[in-house]
Amino acid sequence: MSGNGSAPITRANRQIDARGSSLIERVHVSRGTGRMVVLLVLTFTLFAILRPGIFLNPLNLQTIGVAAPEIGILALAMMLAMLTGGIDLSLPAVASGAAIVMSTLYASIAASSGEAAAHAMGPVIMLVGLLTGLACGAINGFLISVVGITPILTTLGTMQLFNGLAIVATDGVTISGAPAAMTSMARATVAGIPVLFLLLIVVAILVAVLINATALGRKIQLQGANPTASRYSGISSRSTLMSVYLVSGLLGGVAGIIFLGRHGTANADYGASYVLLVIVIAVLGGTNPNGGFATVTGVVLATLTLQVVSSGFTALRLSAYEYAIAQGAILIVVMVLDQIRFRRRRAAAPPASETVAIATQRKKDGTRP
Amino acid sequence: MDRLRRLRGTHNEGILVAVILVVIVAMAVASPAFLTPSNFFALVRSSMVPLIFALGVLLIMISGGIDVSFPAIAIFAAYTTIAWSSEASFDPTIVGVFAIALVIGALLGLVNGAVIARFRLPTLIVTLGTQGIIKGILIAYIGSTYISAGKLPASVRDAADAHLVDIPGGGHLHAVIIPVVLVTALVWWMLRYTTFGRSIFAIGGDIEAARRVGIKVVRTQILLYVLVGALAAFGGMIYVILGKNANPQTLVGTELDIIAAVVLGGASIFGGRGSVLGTVLGVVLVQLINNNLVLVGIPSTWQRAAVGVLLIVGVGIQALAAARSKRRAPIVEEGSVA
Repeated sequence: MSGNGSAPITRANRQIDARGSSLIERVHVSRGTGRMVVLLVLTFTLFAILRPGIFLNPLNLQTIGVAAPEIGILALAMMLAMLTGGIDLSLPAVASGAAIVMSTLYASIAASSGEAAAHAMGPVIMLVGLLTGLACGAINGFLISVVGITPILTTLGTMQLFNGLAIVATDGVTISGAPAAMTSMARATVAGIPVLFLLLIVVAILVAVLINATALGRKIQLQGANPTASRYSGISSRSTLMSVYLVSGLLGGVAGIIFLGRHGTANADYGASYVLLVIVIAVLGGTNPNGGFATVTGVVLATLTLQVVSSGFTALRLSAYEYAIAQGAILIVVMVLDQIRFRRRRAAAPPASETVAIATQRKKDGTRP
Repeated sequence: MDRLRRLRGTHNEGILVAVILVVIVAMAVASPAFLTPSNFFALVRSSMVPLIFALGVLLIMISGGIDVSFPAIAIFAAYTTIAWSSEASFDPTIVGVFAIALVIGALLGLVNGAVIARFRLPTLIVTLGTQGIIKGILIAYIGSTYISAGKLPASVRDAADAHLVDIPGGGHLHAVIIPVVLVTALVWWMLRYTTFGRSIFAIGGDIEAARRVGIKVVRTQILLYVLVGALAAFGGMIYVILGKNANPQTLVGTELDIIAAVVLGGASIFGGRGSVLGTVLGVVLVQLINNNLVLVGIPSTWQRAAVGVLLIVGVGIQALAAARSKRRAPIVEEGSVA
């Protein structure tokens, strides 16, 4: 089209092209993080004004800090799966499964060699919980990367399976018992900040390092952005996907530890209502469900926002069902707005064919931008 | 070889029939209580509601989507209708009850369809959202109380007591089997012989190609979700009639069992493939296992795990077969530029 155009037009085109792409980049970075900072501040201010007495109470803020970590860690795991273009519906089932395994192990040690021994075995029990999560992740990873089942179907099936085994193990009732190490960790605070919240921050930093500063992280991002390109770059999608679901299973195990520590009980049903919440948080935090883009900061901020909304709703005496309505509404509104903005950006950017023409022209000119 | 392939069916229906037969023979050997009319009627009875839901899931899946909001739509439509009718002490006859429920279901489906088709958002995530919203509105604002048999509208109560076949001491076949079979046949006919049905396949096969041959994609998708919403409401009413009560806390949470049955029935999660016959067989297989594990001495707590294993094995075999046929194909298609 513009292949034979005069030089000034080509230059102008090139300039617009460059400015357009830098604009896109800037929007891309702020998407998620920037939006979440605004949303978090807005929701916090809203509830602080509506119910200052209850909402701004330090106890309430601590409760937010204690309740957020297990959901936040599950959301980070979901984000990892979504980053490759997949999804992990089995996460809450993995978490409750790990909690049940740990609680059962604790109970059987307590029964055979006394409670003191069971408490002393705390670290080992936690390790077993992490290994349970890892094993669940390995099953997911095997089915997705080796057998080749779509992530959504795999995790749908394993969610049924893990949840089903949890029902078998517990007979469908709530079991109780947790080592003191876990329950005291769940209650401990450092300078007023709950230890669990610090744990969330540590996990978030580790996940951020994994994504942004390791070779595996680059592979994960490329796998989600463009699987074909990833394959032609000689990256084994099999090992990338396997690692992702291993890590997400491990994070499920961590969430299980937190859950058992907080409540001292475990239950096969506990996961069910978290599937929606965790997906809401991941998407709200700027994760592209089709893969290729996500920010850890965005997801952490989204977790806090949802917790603020949850405790704000409680302060306003609204029910859990009204919170479910809010979750669904937030999810759909955010996705619709993202889509509208994406379309507008695409309409504003030069059409793809022209960009290709410019690139060809550039190559002909022998210039490099 | 050719006859074998025909026996296998286009969506592996033959294999499903074989698996079902094997399960039936195994259960019949394990327990004399299995091959009795009452057990057969119980199987039919427990398959009816999942079948209606499965047909809706099938339609969405053929179009390339996944719907998890249908149980919420079903119970919302059925409970709202019944609650209104019993509160207003007005019985709109059984036809009227169904009509109101179907309209409510269709409107909720319209919301799904409008958001999904207009903004081209991932269907699973949108319907997860609407599921939360619909169930939340139902329980927070419409009603959270259980409506017992005595408070149901008289026409619904009468329908609940209507039996098509009654064997004294041997169970009965419920009369709602008639509308369920009719609706199933209607969906089969629609998918096979109407332009709308073929358009759904076309959209699921390749949305861009469908657009280029002149199918109005947005309109077809919206209509599809409206239809599936109405189908869900129909299933919800059948559920209320069979259970002879209306409880707003039920149904939501069963969506994955239904999706598992449809996938086992040979429908592709990527769209463009699926059959009513396969879906019926998938539902029957899942119900067969759910209903009769106890008869063969396996505790009922194993139900969920068993369905999970069944789903994983089913889709695993499909995935391995697909990978093998791709390796055999001379031209690798996915390498081409989209």
